[in-house]
Amino acid sequence: MSYIYLTKPKLKKEGTVMITPRKTGFNHLVFKFLVVISGILICIIPGKSQPAQAEQGYQTYDELTHELQVLVKAHPDLARLESIGTSAEGRDIWLLTLAKKGSVPTEERPGLLIAANFEAGHLIGSRLSMAMAEQLVRGYQENDNIKQSLDNHVFYIIPRMNPDGAESWFGKLLTGQKGNNRPTDADNDGRMDEDGPEDLNGDGVITVMRVKDPHGLFMLDPADGRLLKRADAAKGETGVYSIYLEGIDNDGDGFINEDPVGGTDLNRNFQHAYPYFKEDAGRYMVSEPESRALMDWVISHRKVAMVLTFGESDNLIVPPSSRGQLSTDRPLDLISLARASVEGASRVGMISTGGRGFDRYSMMMMSSRGRSGGQGATPESTGRQRPSREPATTVNQGDIEYFSTISSKYKELTGIQTQPVLRNPEGAFFQYAYYHYGVPAFSTPGWGITLPADSTRRPGARGTMARPGGGENTSVMPGGMARGGQFPIEGSSSSTPGIDAQFLKYLDSKNIQGFVNWEKATHPEFGEVEIGGFKPLEISNPPITEIDKLAESHTQFALYLSTLYARIRIVNTEVTSLGGGLFMVRAEIANEGFLPTALRHGVQSRSVKPTMVQLGVAPEQIISGSSKTNFFQTLDGSGRRVKYEWMVKGKSGEKIELKAVSQKAGSDVKTITLK
Amino acid sequence: MKTRYNILVGAALILGLMILTPAAATAQEYASDPQFRVKLDFNRWHDVHELYDDMRRLEEAYPQFLKMESIGKSHNGLDIMVMTINNPKTGPEMGKAAMYIDANIHGNEIQGGEVCLYTIWYLMENYGKIGEITRLVDERVFYIFPTVNPDGRQHFMEGDGGNSRTGQVPVDEDNDGLFDEDGPNDLNGNGVIETIRKYVPGQGDYRISRTDSRMMEPVPFGETGDYIILGQEGIDDDGDGMVNEDGPGSYDPNRNWGVDWQPNYIQGGSMDYPFQLPEARAVNDFLMAHPNIAGVQAYHNSGGMILRGPGAESLGEYPGSDVRVYDELGQNGERILPYYRYIVIWSGLYTVHGGFIDWTSDGLGIISFSNELWNSSQYFNSPELMKQAEDPDSPIARNRSRYFFDDKLEFGDQFMEWKAFDHPQYGEVELGGSWKKTQGRVPPRFMNEELCHRNMAFTLYQADEMPMMQIGEVQVKKIEDDVYRVWIDLTNPKVAPTITARAASNKLVRPDLILFEGKPEVISASWISNKNTFDYLNPITDLIDQKELKRLIIRNGHPGKTTRTLQYLVKGRGSVTITYNSVKGGTVSKKLSID
Repeated sequence: MSYIYLTKPKLKKEGTVMITPRKTGFNHLVFKFLVVISGILICIIPGKSQPAQAEQGYQTYDELTHELQVLVKAHPDLARLESIGTSAEGRDIWLLTLAKKGSVPTEERPGLLIAANFEAGHLIGSRLSMAMAEQLVRGYQENDNIKQSLDNHVFYIIPRMNPDGAESWFGKLLTGQKGNNRPTDADNDGRMDEDGPEDLNGDGVITVMRVKDPHGLFMLDPADGRLLKRADAAKGETGVYSIYLEGIDNDGDGFINEDPVGGTDLNRNFQHAYPYFKEDAGRYMVSEPESRALMDWVISHRKVAMVLTFGESDNLIVPPSSRGQLSTDRPLDLISLARASVEGASRVGMISTGGRGFDRYSMMMMSSRGRSGGQGATPESTGRQRPSREPATTVNQGDIEYFSTISSKYKELTGIQTQPVLRNPEGAFFQYAYYHYGVPAFSTPGWGITLPADSTRRPGARGTMARPGGGENTSVMPGGMARGGQFPIEGSSSSTPGIDAQFLKYLDSKNIQGFVNWEKATHPEFGEVEIGGFKPLEISNPPITEIDKLAESHTQFALYLSTLYARIRIVNTEVTSLGGGLFMVRAEIANEGFLPTALRHGVQSRSVKPTMVQLGVAPEQIISGSSKTNFFQTLDGSGRRVKYEWMVKGKSGEKIELKAVSQKAGSDVKTITLK
Repeated sequence: MKTRYNILVGAALILGLMILTPAAATAQEYASDPQFRVKLDFNRWHDVHELYDDMRRLEEAYPQFLKMESIGKSHNGLDIMVMTINNPKTGPEMGKAAMYIDANIHGNEIQGGEVCLYTIWYLMENYGKIGEITRLVDERVFYIFPTVNPDGRQHFMEGDGGNSRTGQVPVDEDNDGLFDEDGPNDLNGNGVIETIRKYVPGQGDYRISRTDSRMMEPVPFGETGDYIILGQEGIDDDGDGMVNEDGPGSYDPNRNWGVDWQPNYIQGGSMDYPFQLPEARAVNDFLMAHPNIAGVQAYHNSGGMILRGPGAESLGEYPGSDVRVYDELGQNGERILPYYRYIVIWSGLYTVHGGFIDWTSDGLGIISFSNELWNSSQYFNSPELMKQAEDPDSPIARNRSRYFFDDKLEFGDQFMEWKAFDHPQYGEVELGGSWKKTQGRVPPRFMNEELCHRNMAFTLYQADEMPMMQIGEVQVKKIEDDVYRVWIDLTNPKVAPTITARAASNKLVRPDLILFEGKPEVISASWISNKNTFDYLNPITDLIDQKELKRLIIRNGHPGKTTRTLQYLVKGRGSVTITYNSVKGGTVSKKLSID
């Protein structure tokens, strides 16, 4: 391979499954030492010392770390830096906590978690969250909104969830990888990361090869000669091109780039709508050190009341639909088609004719009770089961309005109207944060592709997508693909038409050099090929010139979010003496914030605790009325109230403490005197 | 004189031999009553330390086969111990298929621990004595975990038996911000959490049963009784006005695994994410590091079941070829284990999301069973008695049989009679009406050894039917000049395939590899349908369409009880080594010379 990573994990020759190494303290130190040493070595190799993307305004891990340290040093009263864990390659995952110390301890305050750069190349998210942090700490003195927010609430900012993957975007070659570099056997051939891309035309980016091929399925797109489309036989069109990712067949298995360095895509590794058994989703939910560090942190910080992530999914530019559905993916067909060329690699060696199990033995012994060939225990519902519950997959009807209100504000502040390239949010962290953690959770790419009004999606784009899974090499063993329920069929990576034409128009209109024009090159296996296509950095990130404006407006948005918290208050307490040592105690609890104390889904999923209202007397002092300890599931904001009353036996002058404790909306305590 | 002396000496020698020889023969004759090297008892319940002590004694007695180690710590800091059984003389551990056996993931389901201990003990005591046992130990590897929830087991053994299904990671069930602060209390200190009843003449909804005064029954509609039931023995520990609302743990360690994991509101007790529990994480790390594991048995109790996945209907039934394997093993299991039924979890028991054996089968590609140990039909198990139990007036009628059993076979040891108690919140009440923790889910102690042996026998049968690749007959035939045809028989004589269909479709197991090492060039590789008729009838070959013919990938492995014949066409002469390398079916090689 022609490119170098800061630290490249040793390849295993005949790896079997991904094994999580148990890290010992010593190994860990050695590893860190190696990271430092190799970092130094790479710095002194000429030509590699200057990261290609530094001038693009994005920060390497060391630069990011330095900036964080400087920020914290300059604002010790507002900012605290800690590591929530280390990546597979030993880098710290930084968490910046912004809050002004006050009477309510930071960890007891409702908080907004901002997390970015799950996808290795989504550097803009990292940049935006850093800029937001800077603006928040700098603005504390002058800006009253910021002061309010930092005095009463807390911002938790994780600017780079995937430091290992992100670092590979500062190397000599951009491959477009999203994962965390952990060695994987994507095609399950017993070899890890053995067939990655090569920069055949030496331009520093991995794009696409188109090859003249009488068996090819694709032709030039008449609308724009830079693009390709699937030839439609029904229209008399003939395919003349095959499409591949730029590279060679390193392991001689007949496929190009089917098992590159990539690892697990962290925004595919969380618990909601987890894409089981997809090679970039990890071995299981929360399997990666990075995702696990984040999970362990969030479940031990239940006061986090809102989540904002930057990533390649969106529910802010386009809010959930009236049915509660999010935008599907907006892919680039050119890249999907090239990727589809390796779909067959993980089916090499499927034997369909030789699966004659048991053929030498009598079938009689197989099944004494079966209908035919061993169906003995094939389950049928006996009707004794409780109806199986399914987890929610759409935004709760009662929550949609909050999402659309916030989305409108987002668009008003940022001016972003059109989504860039997007992916389905399966296994994404923000989806976990809403569906399992129960809080308002948002994702935005952090930028958009603004276009002249007339250019919409090119006509006829629908249906030009290659159907992965078709074509050669698809012998599947009988019954092997019989899967039900939630396991997606392999290769169903993309079903919506691409936005290639729209994206090209955006690049052209902004004069962004984001497309490599097709040029001839010589390929060791194919001979003459043409190399061209979309450049990885420009697919996922806006031009550098827009960063400042985006940072400013996103800081405004974060501040806006921090005005929305639910806020519990005890209002209107009153005590009436009934004589004979009996007192009637009445209290009203109000939510003076905007959000409800728990979203409807937070209640349904039982992930947000009910608010507790407790009167500080011995249980036997209460004669009638409410219990000593009461709970309400949720209370809408904007001043909604609930009432409680207790008849209490006590002494005149006795002081009683009334507590209202909410998980996401703060707490309140009032002392009541019996009289 | 000298001669006579010699004769005497000779006679003495012969006499001595005559005495000695019968002695040696006696040991042989009494082989049915073996002198065990390690004496263990299986008619009692071991706490975690006793289990580990016995394992240590076995390890010391059989160091050539046994290795005991900790794979990690429980929440409370107890070791999770595994015993590895491997004969290093028959090959390295990773080159042999391994049977994983665990127990007690639910803290109160204890007797699987004894089954595990029995299995280690039985295999070792009978190695070299019983041929089949010797062969199994030589051919296979065993990883045995008598308890994968030591906290739960210890809580059950030390305490009153309540709240022991869970592990001991604290959970705040009542949402008051405090953890495990108000569990049941053994108020009268008799070691059992009993039921509280209060005598309220004419105002209650319960009455004493007329069939047996130990039983309480709800009164029929329109009548009143003299008792109310006030729940489990306990007080309001935290003064919040509620009794027993937040006991220890209260999650399900068997819902914290990585396939079909669902959040708490769909699957109660699943925790926040798979493998969050330290015990589940340690076990999973072990599983991931041992891809040679080809069989799993996880012992639970109770009900008499041989369970297989899937745990939920939405997972979809296993592919037909996998079902055939499970059916053969499961149906023979029903013969080995009377009163046990072979059933699918979701359809025969209840829906389980994120269960352990769904993870091992659907997530790791391992043939997995879970036995629910002990079935109460075994109390009165002759056909005559089972018929009699149908009669409601019989003392062993269904609802009365356990009382009869307790009276006549356990001498009244297990039932707790009602007795008065002055409760701080409820006043004058009675505690009782409950069974000791050792009644119900576990067999009576005297019946446990049979339970251990029969369940072990089923699991050893499963272990024996794990895949085992063999290279059979090899034929080399010259075709022309230096082109040769090579036929190789590849056989898996066992029931289980090297890779299940589920594993192949989910890409869970590294494919089998066939390696051709040697100078000759491989021109083509193919499967042939029948080598006996190949030269006479129209031969059918199934060409293997792979680029690297010296390293063939067999993605869906080799089925059970099947021989396939592989044909190479090679160019050139020389000696060649053919290796079939399977992660779960072992690695075998054969040398041949082509000339």
